[in-house]
Amino acid sequence: MTGKFRAVLYTQWKWSRLVIVLGTIAALAIPVISIQGAARADRGALEAQELLRAVQSWGTLYPLLATALGLLVAVAAWAADHRGRHIHALTLPLPRWQYVLLRFGAGMLLLSFPIIAVLLGATLAALSATLPPGLHAYPIALAVRFAFAVVVAFAVFFAVSSGTARTAGIILGVIAAVILAQVIVSMTGIDFDLFGQLQVLLLAGPGPLAVFTGRWMLVDV
Amino acid sequence: MSRLAALALSATILAAPLAAQDSQLVRMRARADSLLRSWREAALLADVADSLERVRATAGADTITVGGLRIIANRSPLPLRQAAERAWPIVDSLYGSAALELLNRPWIIRAVDPDTAVPRTVLHEGLEIPWDLDLNQTTTMLLSTVGAPRLDQRLLDWLSAVPRPAWNEEQGARNVYVQLVTAPSEAVRRCFLDEISRCRDVLQLDDSADLLSRWYITPAEREALVTGAFGDYFARPATAPTLQRCREHDDDACVRLLRALPTLPPPLFHGPRMLLLREALRAGGRDAYSRLVADPSAPIGARLASAAAIPLDSLVARWRARALAARPASLVVPWWAGVFAMVWTAIFALCASRSSRWRL
Repeated sequence: MTGKFRAVLYTQWKWSRLVIVLGTIAALAIPVISIQGAARADRGALEAQELLRAVQSWGTLYPLLATALGLLVAVAAWAADHRGRHIHALTLPLPRWQYVLLRFGAGMLLLSFPIIAVLLGATLAALSATLPPGLHAYPIALAVRFAFAVVVAFAVFFAVSSGTARTAGIILGVIAAVILAQVIVSMTGIDFDLFGQLQVLLLAGPGPLAVFTGRWMLVDV
Repeated sequence: MSRLAALALSATILAAPLAAQDSQLVRMRARADSLLRSWREAALLADVADSLERVRATAGADTITVGGLRIIANRSPLPLRQAAERAWPIVDSLYGSAALELLNRPWIIRAVDPDTAVPRTVLHEGLEIPWDLDLNQTTTMLLSTVGAPRLDQRLLDWLSAVPRPAWNEEQGARNVYVQLVTAPSEAVRRCFLDEISRCRDVLQLDDSADLLSRWYITPAEREALVTGAFGDYFARPATAPTLQRCREHDDDACVRLLRALPTLPPPLFHGPRMLLLREALRAGGRDAYSRLVADPSAPIGARLASAAAIPLDSLVARWRARALAARPASLVVPWWAGVFAMVWTAIFALCASRSSRWRL
């Protein structure tokens, strides 16, 4: 099994190495750049707000990076199979679910590089900065949040990418149906916000994308 | 003889304007008296109108009394009694013995159907509230509209808000912590770092002399205040050159502009003052509020110390400790978020593994 996994990992690395390398560099750089200038010892009371504002602005990049990494690595994992009409996969002497899990595991392992990079970058940034009193750095919390976001994004796009054209059609159809339903509801004058309800379902509490919400702050009170 | 005649003539000539001035004074006094009479009549009529309006607003209404809260309201599904029962302990904990004075100031509430477009008579007395509010909303409404007993203008000015009971006091204390950490003022930062005298300054508990140099200690803060919050205000032709000099780091110019402001903005908003007031009332027991409003002419610091029945520095230290204890929770990902993320990941992975291998 290890040999099979190694083979799948190698091929996926070849397909997605550019994404992984660029993503790792970005993951390392964003935390460092986000608190650039915070290392000054003469930081006055004025800069606390500015620092938080800067960190907050840069914070929007983490979920975007997580989504982009999840999407590109998931697409890369299945692109060759789609091109070859899955003939190669069908010839392999292992059940499909094992094949899928090997691809999934390989993708996860590759995505651990940018996750570790965020942890390293955030820790470096936190150690090098002289923060105003009352402000604290949260490198581990940020890295954990980023890890969950990357994993969930990868799983979502992996599931979609692994599906057939019919599956993609169904997903698009559901989205179109929701939009149509909202339009009809609005036209009839019924006070029901379908988009709002869906947003709550997806983003709040136990929703699948809840980990993307919240505060992506390397430094906070 | 001729001299005598001349003197008499002079006296007559001089007396004429004096007499005229005297009669003008009488006329003015009569006019003032007339205006006073008119004002009294108008006030009387206004009182009668208010009284009639009150009678009209309360006609056919029920009276609900819970502790010191009295509500006069029409019959409706609004859970007023339950809300008053929830609100009263919170109100009582703030105003203490003075809370019973609220009996003299009842709420007049007209609960209205939120779903009807039928026009209704306009009332100029009391509150008009949709009757579909739930218990929490009704309680919040009561707490946010309760009037503080014997509130004087000086206290109101210092506080910039009516001291009302807090539904979520912890959130208020958290906001104070955030302000202490992020306020663009070195004085506030020093207060955060346990310099009690600075806390007294930023809370404006002592005299108001030279607040500018006490609130905004460094030239950079003053420049930021002028160019940031008041950049547009001072961009008028009369002050534009001074503003430009301030922008070029001329501290004297910044100070001149800030001194020209009618009111200097305090480095902390009203939340910290409200928290201090609440701490004073909590420390002082049931009669704390009565002591607070007993002498409206006394300085605010002295009134708060008297209400709390402890020295002012101790009260401020207590306030600071309360704010620091309310530091917002660390930015950790809650355990359940991690669990849900993993569960969703597993579900999506399962979806992928269950898809058909035949995709021709």
